[in-house]
Amino acid sequence: MADPLFDKAFLKKLEYLDLIARRLVFGRQQAIRPSIKKGASIEFKDFREYSPGDDPRSVEWSVYARLGELVIKLFRQEEELDLRVLLDASGSMDFGEPNKFDHARRIAAALAYIGMCNMDSASVVPFGRELGNGRSRLRGRGKIFGLFDFLTGLRAEGRTDLAGAARTFVSRVRRPNLVVIVSDFYGLKNAQRALDQLRFFKHQVYVIQVASPWELDPPIRGEWRLLDAESPDFGDLTVTDTLLRRYRRAFDEFSTNLRRYGMRYSIGYALTRSDTPFEEFLVQVLQRGGLVA
Amino acid sequence: MTLLAPWALWFSAVGLAVVALYLLKIKRRRQTVPALDFWRQLAGQTHVRSLFQRLKRWLSLLLWLAIVTCLILSVGNPVLTFGRIKPRSIAVILDNSASMQTIEEGESPSGPRTRLQAALEVLNDLTRLRPVDDEWMLIEAGRTPRVLRAWTRDRQAIRLAGESSSPHFGSVDLSAAKALAAQLISGKAQPAIVVLSDGAAGQVRKLVGDDQTVVYWPIGQSDDNLGITRFRARPHRRQSAQYAYIRVINASPRLVETRVVFELDDSTVAVEPLSVEGGESWEKTVVVHAPEGGVLRARIDRPDALAVDNEACAILEPIERASILLVTPREERFFFEQALVAMESLVDPEASLTISIEEYDTLNAAGTAPDVTLFNNCAPNNLPPSGSFVFVNAWPKEVPARVIDTLEAPELTVVERDHPLMRYLNLSAVSLARAKRVDLTQRSTVLARSSEGAPLIFLHHQPDRRFICLAFDVMESDLPFRNAFPLFLRNAVALLMIERSAWIEDQYDIGDIIEPIRPLPGGVEEVRVSRLLDDDIRETTLPVENGRFHFEDTTRRGPLRFTFGDETAYSAVNLADAGESRIAPLGAAQPPEDRLTLTGRLFGAVPWLAMAVVAALLVGLEWLTYHFRWTE
Repeated sequence: MADPLFDKAFLKKLEYLDLIARRLVFGRQQAIRPSIKKGASIEFKDFREYSPGDDPRSVEWSVYARLGELVIKLFRQEEELDLRVLLDASGSMDFGEPNKFDHARRIAAALAYIGMCNMDSASVVPFGRELGNGRSRLRGRGKIFGLFDFLTGLRAEGRTDLAGAARTFVSRVRRPNLVVIVSDFYGLKNAQRALDQLRFFKHQVYVIQVASPWELDPPIRGEWRLLDAESPDFGDLTVTDTLLRRYRRAFDEFSTNLRRYGMRYSIGYALTRSDTPFEEFLVQVLQRGGLVA
Repeated sequence: MTLLAPWALWFSAVGLAVVALYLLKIKRRRQTVPALDFWRQLAGQTHVRSLFQRLKRWLSLLLWLAIVTCLILSVGNPVLTFGRIKPRSIAVILDNSASMQTIEEGESPSGPRTRLQAALEVLNDLTRLRPVDDEWMLIEAGRTPRVLRAWTRDRQAIRLAGESSSPHFGSVDLSAAKALAAQLISGKAQPAIVVLSDGAAGQVRKLVGDDQTVVYWPIGQSDDNLGITRFRARPHRRQSAQYAYIRVINASPRLVETRVVFELDDSTVAVEPLSVEGGESWEKTVVVHAPEGGVLRARIDRPDALAVDNEACAILEPIERASILLVTPREERFFFEQALVAMESLVDPEASLTISIEEYDTLNAAGTAPDVTLFNNCAPNNLPPSGSFVFVNAWPKEVPARVIDTLEAPELTVVERDHPLMRYLNLSAVSLARAKRVDLTQRSTVLARSSEGAPLIFLHHQPDRRFICLAFDVMESDLPFRNAFPLFLRNAVALLMIERSAWIEDQYDIGDIIEPIRPLPGGVEEVRVSRLLDDDIRETTLPVENGRFHFEDTTRRGPLRFTFGDETAYSAVNLADAGESRIAPLGAAQPPEDRLTLTGRLFGAVPWLAMAVVAALLVGLEWLTYHFRWTE
């Protein structure tokens, strides 16, 4: 029987992350950030002429006494930060040893937990060819187990259309959020289009590229029939040392291009191997990468 | 084209396997990848686009077939003969005679080598350059021919058998070897008898003759050799000296001047300058004063191509004076005693005695054994079982001569003038009053006859006894008054003394079997043979049966000592063969390479190395196409 995705060891690590999360500025600096919208906070923003329908309690009577005009006082709207984790659940993620999708799910769960611990809401939304229905706006630690159940039930299958998923996402979520995309990002052009869309809608984006050890250094030589993980397509290939050298160079180039693209547009980037412990990844890589303070 | 190793064609199965694999396609292993397009983009750089690339797979197949073909040709050792080579049965006769020990200084990569070694290299070439389906047999000529390897197709076995051949330091009998080969090759298809020799003193010329199956392959080129072809020594009892006779031949066509050194028991006793024209011989008799005897060696003081004939040895017998027992009527002893006194160097007067026949019977019973016993006009009743005897006008029944009647005034005629007994004698016009007409009942040597043909002086040998008989009374002739009488007695004593000690010959050729001339004394059960080498003495013990022994280990020259009972006999083994010393090889009438159609000398065997290099280049080419191949 396979090890459960979120076992006791994972929960212990979450407690450890909880302690870390208390020291992080991830929530406090950003969750109570002022909104451009006017709202009911105590911070004054502007005056406006009274118009019928306005709440009479907001009329500034001192101004009326002095000038004889009805004006009302406007205050800034305070908004909480919503962490949106877009989890790639396509067939290409169900690959490698350790499995990429397992690793990605653990990362998504951990990020969501950190978000929930800082009194913000967190969402985990899977995507493949389309954007799926995830768990949205989860608040409080108690919701983490429901998230575990959701993630455990997820299956990685089908093709990937990150651009299409991003398009759907921005149509659903109009307020700017912190969006973390956990994927293998194959198809760089498509990924760039997706990131552009999120960027245009003022989302703060962070990408986590997941790769298995096999993808970094394929241990194959000779005559192979390569089967596509997301389609019935296949190809016969003679794998030689020369080809493998070219593959490794191309994969490095692919990762580098993704990172450079992120640097150009203030998009955080991190590459994680599926055999790297996720807590180590979160503490070391994400901290360095700026996702958490 | 012919393959020297046709079994290499079995490797064609590899080619068939290659074709089968290409036709059936190799079953590929399967691997799921996250993004097939990613790999396709990589491989797409060499993706099938052009017609040439579409044919690359078949090009690869052709390359592999070419590689397999090259490897087959490399292993199979192909030759371009256009059908001229056919499988043959080849019997190789290897001459391992003394002359094959000639050192050749030719342009051999391995440096100087003997002709025998050169012959073995030729044998290797033969087995390498002939088709592998030839059948081979190897015969070593030797003293008697010996099959070193019977019929086989295993060329390596033939080579190993050749390496096991050992040199024979004497002459060989090639005709016997050829007869053996002819007997063993009869009935074989495409027979050939290859003789690897330097001519074996012209024996090859007789062998080849008109026999088309015999192929003579001459070995060697050198002709620079001086060789001792004869070396004998005889005691000169009258001078208490030894006379050594030596003959040297010059096998080269050039004048050679050097010297011959004579050493007696390792001490130089004579040095003779030598000058001999090309092809000629040189003879010399050297007087050596050595009354005690010893081993005399003659050595040519000049290195040449064949060392085995540059030295020879001879045994010098000690010169001992004989004890003579004269048995004669008292009144007739005068002339005999005077003649014996006159040969002081031969006869020991103190050990000699004159007695009557009556006294002889008493003395004989006491076991006295003089060197020579001379009976004049009397004969003993009981003749000793061994000894040397001279009978004048009477002899016992042991002598196979029956008296028929009497010849009156016979005329004596010498019929064997060169016999040692008749040497220096002038018996012409000897007056004989009468003689006995004798009928020889056994084979004897007649030295003088009457005009009617009746034997007057004859010799007879029995295993342990030697007789010299005169069939007339010397006292009834004028012989005692002639110089011939004491000379005759001296010759008789000298001859009987020499033969007395001769248990074996004083000289043997290499390869001879040494046997005693006469049966050894009774009671002798073994003979110790000592090979007197330069630094050590090697002894062998031989059993004696019925007074005889056989010593066969005469493969090397040198002195030998035979010891049995109280007796000691010496002999020497020498090459002493002019045919072996004349080392100039006999040329072949027709190049043997052509007669044997050796592949290396036709169009040349396609070098296996070249084919292997081509195969390696093709592997490299195929590797390049392999590493840039993408097939769907």
